[in-house]
Amino acid sequence: MKTAPHQRLVMAGDRDVLKELLRRRLVECGWRDQVKIICKELIKENGQDITYDTLLSMVTSRARSLVPDSVKKELLQKIKNQLMSQEESLKM
Amino acid sequence: MSDHGCIHLNNFKAAKGIQPYKVIHSYFVTSTSAEARVRKAVSCLCHTCKTYKDRLHSCLHCIFFGCYVKGHIQEHAKTKKHFLAVDLSYGNILCFQCGDYVYDRELLAVAKSQWSESAKSLSLGEFYRAWEPTQIEAELLRKNPRRRRIVENSTIGLRGLINLGSTCFMNCIVQALIHTPLLRDYFLADRHHCPQPSRCLVCEVSHLFQEFYSGSKAPLTLHKLLHLIWTHARHLAGYEQQDAHEFFIATLDVLHRHCEAAPILVKDNPHHCNCIIDQIFTGGLQSDVVCQACNGVSTTIDPFWDISLDLGPAAGASGSDSSGPPTSLLDCLERFTRAEHLGSSAKIKCSNCQTYQESTKQLTMKQLPIVASFHLKRFEHSSIQDKKISTFISFPEQLDMTPFMSHRRNGNNNSASLDALPKNGEDTAFSDNRYCLFAVINHEGSLETGHYTAFIRQQRDQWFKCDDHLITRAKLKDVLTSEGYLLFYHKQILEYGRNSKM
Repeated sequence: MKTAPHQRLVMAGDRDVLKELLRRRLVECGWRDQVKIICKELIKENGQDITYDTLLSMVTSRARSLVPDSVKKELLQKIKNQLMSQEESLKM
Repeated sequence: MSDHGCIHLNNFKAAKGIQPYKVIHSYFVTSTSAEARVRKAVSCLCHTCKTYKDRLHSCLHCIFFGCYVKGHIQEHAKTKKHFLAVDLSYGNILCFQCGDYVYDRELLAVAKSQWSESAKSLSLGEFYRAWEPTQIEAELLRKNPRRRRIVENSTIGLRGLINLGSTCFMNCIVQALIHTPLLRDYFLADRHHCPQPSRCLVCEVSHLFQEFYSGSKAPLTLHKLLHLIWTHARHLAGYEQQDAHEFFIATLDVLHRHCEAAPILVKDNPHHCNCIIDQIFTGGLQSDVVCQACNGVSTTIDPFWDISLDLGPAAGASGSDSSGPPTSLLDCLERFTRAEHLGSSAKIKCSNCQTYQESTKQLTMKQLPIVASFHLKRFEHSSIQDKKISTFISFPEQLDMTPFMSHRRNGNNNSASLDALPKNGEDTAFSDNRYCLFAVINHEGSLETGHYTAFIRQQRDQWFKCDDHLITRAKLKDVLTSEGYLLFYHKQILEYGRNSKM
């Protein structure tokens, strides 16, 4: 996404609303619990002094692949709609 | 990762306090006002490479934003010796001397309260947060170490209700309410806080939830609930059998009024009630009256708690198409949302052409409630006779309400430009309007003497028949072949938008 559309979403509060929707969808579908378990196991394996960066590098790709397609699709559609309605209101 | 901050952060706090963090957090992490969101949108870019993403951090010591992925915040920390930064996505503190993020209770408390503020400024209620027990809750958990694991065939949540003399109408409505998933979640999460517990129906329902889920199997007596309804809905007072539908509506009304005693303010519309009853049961019905002379449309939207559906043959059916009585819930809904010719005897003054004209009227669903309650009008009261219609009306386990929505049913005529645009959080293209049956109330017998029973769903897909104090297992087939008087459907996917009601 280019900077300008991103800024418009932030300004209107839409980004916060969409982020919240995403957060709840990920909780609903169990993604949050799955990722939490993965992290717990990695911490057990690597000792609790593991840094955030190390943990992130080990979890990110697995966690991304666990996000259900339906959630991605819904978010994409909603971001699109939001941007389109902003565009329409700018025209008027 | 430490949970008590670190020596570097503690030294910083001793010198500068928590104000720098507060300011950065309230503007650039969780913007707590519209003004803050504008500032965030405009200024949250890496000062070196101008990106808005790649894990942007803000320096805690001076005004500098830098991304982490390309190392610009690290660079700043090194050259300026500013070793503390705030992650702008989550608000965590990064200490470059420790080489990791550090947690600090005091700053976490600041972040939490600003989260709430931010959610309020967006009229979102509250952002999702994983449950953490409060001190009181932690204490309660310590004092009550026995845990109950709910197994698949558990019957927890089921309790019979004693008939107090023709009170089966109340018992079956209470069973339906107690087994409404969102209402259960609300009450079991202890969300109702009340200034007047002794006279409040919401408190009594809250108490009933505790009773139903206590694990005890002995049937309950609803004398206090009945008394509260009698006091607050006088037309239902008395010992005779009442209509379950009337009781349902009266109960929702009293609950809604008692919720208002502890009002939840909605920022952008102070007249709009946001109590749990309205959040779950209120939908919006759109009525379009079209003038036959000028095609002018006048549209009104009214709130509803339930939909009453006619079962008799379509009165004054004009055309040849399907004039017989409906045989299914879908038939009824199709008929309910069909454009109806108002006839020459009911001319209405058109607000567009200002003359009295014949018109058509169409009802459609503007906004769907989370629980859709359908009332099949089996009791017919007319000047000639009162009778009960016992025809079988089939109804599905899963129901899609999309065909009955305003934008689908009459997208062709009215409000072509402005209203057709998707508004914030309300996009018609993706919305999912599927519902699932969770309770059915039946009336056995005649108009004069009869008995109410309820089928309720528990634990996703198990059905039970509630006949006053008797609870027996039932099959889905028994439910779907029952006569059906009140049908309760629960929305399968919940929306969490600003304009949607959760």
